[in-house]
Amino acid sequence: MIVEGTHFFPGPREVVWTLLLDPDVLAKTMPGTASIVRVSDDRYEGTMAMGIGPITAAVFDVVITMTDRAEPEHYTMQIEGRGKFGFTRGKAAVTLAPDGAGTSMGYQADLVVGGKIAAVGQRLLDSVSKLMLRQGLDAMTRELEHRLAGGAA
Amino acid sequence: MKPPVFEYHRPGSLNDALALLGGHPGVKPLAGGQSLIPAMNFRLAAPDALVDLNALPELSGIEETADGGLRIGAMTRHCAVELSTAVAARAPLLAEAMPFIAHRQIRNRGTIGGSLAHADPAAELPAVMVALEARLVLASMRGGRVVPAAEFFTGLFATALTKGELITAIEIPPAPLRTGTAFLELARRHGDYALVGVTAVVRLGAEARVAGSRIVLFSVGEGPVRATHAEQSLAGTAGDATALRAAAEAVQRDIDPSSDIHASSDYRRHLASVLTRRALTTAMARAADSVR
Repeated sequence: MIVEGTHFFPGPREVVWTLLLDPDVLAKTMPGTASIVRVSDDRYEGTMAMGIGPITAAVFDVVITMTDRAEPEHYTMQIEGRGKFGFTRGKAAVTLAPDGAGTSMGYQADLVVGGKIAAVGQRLLDSVSKLMLRQGLDAMTRELEHRLAGGAA
Repeated sequence: MKPPVFEYHRPGSLNDALALLGGHPGVKPLAGGQSLIPAMNFRLAAPDALVDLNALPELSGIEETADGGLRIGAMTRHCAVELSTAVAARAPLLAEAMPFIAHRQIRNRGTIGGSLAHADPAAELPAVMVALEARLVLASMRGGRVVPAAEFFTGLFATALTKGELITAIEIPPAPLRTGTAFLELARRHGDYALVGVTAVVRLGAEARVAGSRIVLFSVGEGPVRATHAEQSLAGTAGDATALRAAAEAVQRDIDPSSDIHASSDYRRHLASVLTRRALTTAMARAADSVR
């Protein structure tokens, strides 16, 4: 499954970079994230619960490893998720470019989803990932606006 | 496969049902159980308690209302709607859609309210209800309210229902004169989830021109998708082949279908235009027939 697109953040690239890599911000903004911890510079571990429609019980342990990180321009994430209902693995590349007063983010993820969740919910994976990503990016944008307006983290 | 342990309630009155639904945090209403029970058996859903609505006869039945419309109880089975002469006469679009819902065994058990509350993006009934401008009658311990179908479906498996709230009935207004409707869907096998589906309602005005239309697609987005660009393109035209082709083309600006193993996004886009043109052709012919 390929998920790609662009998103505009109304703030400077350095601030967006910091937000995107801040585990506390990720935990707050990414839908279903129960916890996420930065265990080393390039490694995050967390737990995510997917809840959509009839599916309310899909919990995944997720490990994200950062590769070719070039602040503040781009990074690549290796993603591995494992749960009772299936697994996901793949990578996602993120680029950040200045765009007027804001930042344009480009993302391309190539993910494989398997196990029961894929067998039962295959036809919904694309829609669900798009929806969760949109909710996450919208929440991240609100967080950015909040910080730029002088609010605390 | 067996579901995880859950509490089971079978209330004998709507009030008791609403009290139970409002009381537990992890409670789900059980209607026909054609989506919820498989999800529980796969252990993808694990409600703490179920409130079975099957002992509430007041939630079932099809009533012809004095204004020429219909009122259908939420617990009415799909098969009852499918076989109803009142539905065939007063809401032919709904009657035409019913055989496309899953398989007969499922239609014998599944309910109209259950399907609407589930809000599957590939489901037929949400699109039909939006096309027919139906109203959903909701009840909870806090009272009742009526929500237009167009406002009820809010996203992927998401509806306007709040915690503890139930659909009790669906009200379908009478069809205006000189109206024609059509329903089309394509699936690889009968009973599969639709690759794309289209519902069309066309109303003719003076000089047989299109006075208004409602074109609602499903399985091309997060829920029923109203094709407003296509509707605008059709308005005021004679509904001839050129106008219908233009409307079918305009549908492309209304949808953002997903890809899955059954069909790519591009293929769904192609199907959406083809099915829209065919559905509009049929709806136009039926509207013209109703004038004679």
